[in-house]
Amino acid sequence: MNPEQLLYSQTHEWVYVETDPSGAKIAVVGITAYALEVLTELVYLELPEVGRLVEAGKPFGEVESVKAVSDLYSPVDGQVVASNQSLCAHLDQLAQDPYGDGWLVKIRLADDSRLANLMNYEAYQRQCQKES
Amino acid sequence: MRTVDRAIQELPFDLPPPTECRLIVDTAASGAWNMAVDEVLWQWAGETGRCAWRLYGWSEPTLSLGYFQPYADRARHPSSMACPIVRRPSGGAAIVHDRELTYSLALPATHPLAAQRAILYKLVAFALIDALAEFGIRASLVTRSDQPQLDPQPFLCFQRRAPGDVIVGTLKVAGSAQRRSRQAVLQHGCVLLGRSAAAPEITGLESIAPTPIDPLLLQTQWLENLSRRLGFQWQPERLSEPERSRAVTLAAAKYESPAWTVRRGRNVPPAHTPPDCFDYAEDN
Repeated sequence: MNPEQLLYSQTHEWVYVETDPSGAKIAVVGITAYALEVLTELVYLELPEVGRLVEAGKPFGEVESVKAVSDLYSPVDGQVVASNQSLCAHLDQLAQDPYGDGWLVKIRLADDSRLANLMNYEAYQRQCQKES
Repeated sequence: MRTVDRAIQELPFDLPPPTECRLIVDTAASGAWNMAVDEVLWQWAGETGRCAWRLYGWSEPTLSLGYFQPYADRARHPSSMACPIVRRPSGGAAIVHDRELTYSLALPATHPLAAQRAILYKLVAFALIDALAEFGIRASLVTRSDQPQLDPQPFLCFQRRAPGDVIVGTLKVAGSAQRRSRQAVLQHGCVLLGRSAAAPEITGLESIAPTPIDPLLLQTQWLENLSRRLGFQWQPERLSEPERSRAVTLAAAKYESPAWTVRRGRNVPPAHTPPDCFDYAEDN
């Protein structure tokens, strides 16, 4: 994934919207390189199971880095159709390729209206600069 | 200028402006109650945009597990098997809570320190280091880890080292952990005052202090330093009745529940064993 073509939440998740063979819109979700840099060393990751319903702005998983457990927030409403559970035992993959093999979940969108609340790359960069 | 002051001045961060902070001094209670109140205050901070610092104790020696720590691991520590157990909302490893000062800090996400997780650890730790110096104890901050990773990791938190921990020589005397949401940050931790029969391998300040430490005096000095370091203006308050009610419900529904305590926690080994031992560069 090219970070410049992704959408971003205020809680540092990235989103790429693709269409599955049935025509349904699927949001591929991960966490950004900036978030990983702030988290520093990852220790544990918990992701939702396939089938779980998620809501925009609500937690769908947790990540523990050294000394802190942080929630992962869904940027969209929908249902989890894929969960990258192999990451939980290979967190280095997440750190090495956060926009590729480090994707976290794929969510079938209930509707795509929530996408309008997400930021583009430039806006997200400004947020990161402000936070740092 | 003292080394600690210089260390604070060198932090890439402007210290926050004076902020009113609720100060709650609680009596000793059960593990479930203590974690429930911490969570209530964490939620409250997110809802109100205000800060709270809480000091509390444990009605009996209690084992707390880190959020992801497997329940089955407690079998590795026979000394604490008879202790009541609670799972924390924060990460890290197990702690036997007994002879200690225990604290929690709830910050709203809008507070300038909320996003600065490492600096928050440092400021709380430096305030403690300064306080310990008043008792003739030269403590230091763990800032990095460069020792070989151990497998398995020690069961107890105080047998591990992580940035932000406070040590005296090779003895870890204080540690903290955070739980973060989009609305607020909860940081809680403890200062080991003495050895517990439920964790005889872990000593505390009493083993290295030149004279006995009065916990209340240490607490008072720490609060004074926190006020200076974090800009807090203390507002002594008790829990409100709605907060107590929420804590009662939360303690029963979550922190006393086997679904949380026993079945929560990972079932697979960690993907990465974090650095265990330490080196440090910032002392007082």
